[in-house]
Amino acid sequence: MSCGNPQTEQDALMIRRKKFDQARTCVKCKTNSGSIVVRYAVYCKECFFPLVASKFRRSLEPTINPITDGPRRRGLKASGNLLLGLSGGLGSTVLLDLVNRTYFKEPSTENGIEKPRGGKDHPRNGSVWAKTAVCYVETCSAFSGVRDKTEEIRAVVDKYDRFDFIPLRIEDAFDNAWWENIGGPPTQQEFGVDVTNEDLFLSTFATGETDSPVSCLKNYIASLPTQTAVPSAVQTLTRLLLLHTAMMTASSHLLLGTSLTSLSISLISSISQGGGFVVREEAQEEWTPRMSVDSNTTERKAGTVRTVRPLRDIGMKECGIWAWWNGLHIVGRERFPGGRQSIGALTKDFIIGLERDYPSTVSTIARTCAKLAPKEGADSICLICERPAQYGIQDWKARISIRSFEDLSSASYRPSHFPERIIKTSPTTPNPPRSPSLTPLLCYACHTTLTSRSIRGTTTNSSMIRRQSVPLPVWVNSRFDIDEKSNGEIWARTQMKGDQMKASIAEFLLNG
Amino acid sequence: MAPRTCALCSTAKAMLKRPKTGQQICRECFFYVFETEVHNTITQSKLFRLGDRVAIGASGGKDSTVLAYVMKTLNERHNYGLDLFLLSIDEGITGYRDDSLETVKRNQQQYDMPLKILSYDELYGWTMDAIVEQVGRKNNCTFCGVFRRQALDRGAAMLAVDHIVTGHNADDIAETVLMNIMRGDIARLGRCTSICTQGEDTIRRSKPFKYAYEKEIVMYAYFKKLDYFSTECIYSPDAYRGHARAFLKDLEAARPSAIIDIIHSGEAFEVREDVKATQRVQRKDPFSLCWNDWFMCLSETCQRCGYMSSNELCKACTLLEGLERGMANSGITDRGRKKMEADGPTPNNLRTIPFYNPPSGNPAVTIETLA
Repeated sequence: MSCGNPQTEQDALMIRRKKFDQARTCVKCKTNSGSIVVRYAVYCKECFFPLVASKFRRSLEPTINPITDGPRRRGLKASGNLLLGLSGGLGSTVLLDLVNRTYFKEPSTENGIEKPRGGKDHPRNGSVWAKTAVCYVETCSAFSGVRDKTEEIRAVVDKYDRFDFIPLRIEDAFDNAWWENIGGPPTQQEFGVDVTNEDLFLSTFATGETDSPVSCLKNYIASLPTQTAVPSAVQTLTRLLLLHTAMMTASSHLLLGTSLTSLSISLISSISQGGGFVVREEAQEEWTPRMSVDSNTTERKAGTVRTVRPLRDIGMKECGIWAWWNGLHIVGRERFPGGRQSIGALTKDFIIGLERDYPSTVSTIARTCAKLAPKEGADSICLICERPAQYGIQDWKARISIRSFEDLSSASYRPSHFPERIIKTSPTTPNPPRSPSLTPLLCYACHTTLTSRSIRGTTTNSSMIRRQSVPLPVWVNSRFDIDEKSNGEIWARTQMKGDQMKASIAEFLLNG
Repeated sequence: MAPRTCALCSTAKAMLKRPKTGQQICRECFFYVFETEVHNTITQSKLFRLGDRVAIGASGGKDSTVLAYVMKTLNERHNYGLDLFLLSIDEGITGYRDDSLETVKRNQQQYDMPLKILSYDELYGWTMDAIVEQVGRKNNCTFCGVFRRQALDRGAAMLAVDHIVTGHNADDIAETVLMNIMRGDIARLGRCTSICTQGEDTIRRSKPFKYAYEKEIVMYAYFKKLDYFSTECIYSPDAYRGHARAFLKDLEAARPSAIIDIIHSGEAFEVREDVKATQRVQRKDPFSLCWNDWFMCLSETCQRCGYMSSNELCKACTLLEGLERGMANSGITDRGRKKMEADGPTPNNLRTIPFYNPPSGNPAVTIETLA
């Protein structure tokens, strides 16, 4: 009989595989000695570069033409410009280099410039994107003790002469001037939310009454109930700033440097925070601006922005080797203070540890999640993250965890210790008029970010919260209006464009 | 500092911080919300019909002990009209199952429920101790899983029940969602959050504790003074599951709602239709499939024992034959199977599993009732 001690029994533990399968010779050219092991396969330095470049193109090119996965024989032509999101981390720096090498560098030979096939005016040899910009969102204002890296990032971008640089700051998410600058409608009324209640009741204050954007940002961050919520909120704000910038620059594509490892981390992290409904969007998404855009400020009519992660088949290790062999300068990203115990950081530690022992797991996670789709149609779009929101979220939450005895009067069984007088009086007592609630307008993950608390107590920093009502990002403010005549009911408001109106009545128009 | 009052009733003194919500509440309110949430799960999912005969899979551990108590309480409180039974499987693991079966026997007396204990030894002629002695620790979970699945069905058939309920809790389900993503098990991922599984002509199985936190189950047992045995199977060195479990505990510490958030995620997505279609084409080996898929394939019965099977022999009979002939790998690897085929036909004097009679409505065994 077995004693159950793994130290004396080999088969009690999973046996770790060897780091590479067969020989030390490159599996591609089968002549050179290998320089790197990628998931058990050995590659030499010469074969490694085309391997990464082809994985990059294989992920990106099916998404460049307006019809995804459509024919590409006539060449690649995007419907708009290109925006690259640069964080200063490994993945985005490698992405910048790959985009430059693949689409903007003149092909050269030993004898000089090579003539493009079919001549330079052949449609195939034209630029894929007319203009390209790199956007960096500086997040140092959200955390104390984090330095501003904008100039370092600018120096990285300046090395590439084809890219414009657009520096943003995370507090722009609360800045009406930035909002109006990108073509957003002027805000008449600003809204704040009471984060102490799960219903997230809204209140209003007139424009100009609010603090500076930095104060609003700090107030927003300080009001979040857990350490997990802080990086999630910053990530959402950054994502929306990038998307709105893409819209403003008439970009059809927003490229992010999410490597295979980072993608697996963000997938598991998102699922662990209730983002299962948008698991598809974590890998690739199409975002349609909900605001109307002033045609004078943009060259292209506001259309869909396709977010693509072209490094999604390239692991962090391969990115690191690419950067090292090409001498790329990585500015680096800092973990925010106190963030080691957040779900994102825990997931990162877990996945990177797992990648060491079970290297295939990281790609398995990404491949498995790519096979998933949301179960039911989206009910609406979340006001904060602007991703699809499922219906019935609050009913589901109320059913599986009872958080109040409000409806106890109708219950068939009541706790014996609960005073009967309270049960009897509660239904007849008229409820005081309540403010409108933000909760029904949010997706599961955003609502959880704002309301789910830690067992150790809230991280909400009351000294940092300057007012009871916490300010909301500018795109949230512009999305709804309170109709005071209908008892404070909230109306989500979208200005209809001519073609949208036409589309809704198209079947009744005789002349098309 | 003045004692806090309960966040729910605002009258009694708060006694605990609820793991699921972080609210500070009193003991009575905790009992009420815990039981009501299980009741909500049962009613929303329409798990039972009036007059159903329901077997509670009882291991003597915390989950099944609390499940038996709560099922009895809710059945009486809300007039479900269920006939409740306890069904235990004795795998024959010395030091693991002996003590916990004593707990189940005490539960039988405390809750006044009929109990049926079915042992591997009685059904297959092998205990898990004996199996591990022959196969080692590497593949013993395959034997235990196949044998338990069939033993539960056979036990349920003997009791003539319509339904088996098990004590799988929210932590188990969240852990399974993560595990299935990490090992790429799409078929299981699509179904692991289902509260109820049922194939054609099979007994329904469901998980009323689907949304109940493991910590709250322990808390409930503690405050209700329910006794149970907390033991880990000594034969399951699943390092991979261990990683997932430790990770989930870290997530829960970071934000307690993580468990329920993962379940919500699991319920919100499904396998894409085009992927499902590909899987249907590729499906060949029914024994590598999940519970529901498995039943979909099982249109025939085992020629030796009458249990559902898509092959001539069911998996349990195949594994048992390997054990009996001293070639335990025959049911696990192709190499082992070929070796056994080369060894010649099945001997006539081989021990086999008793013939399976599906539920007929009348108990086929004498149930151990209270003295």
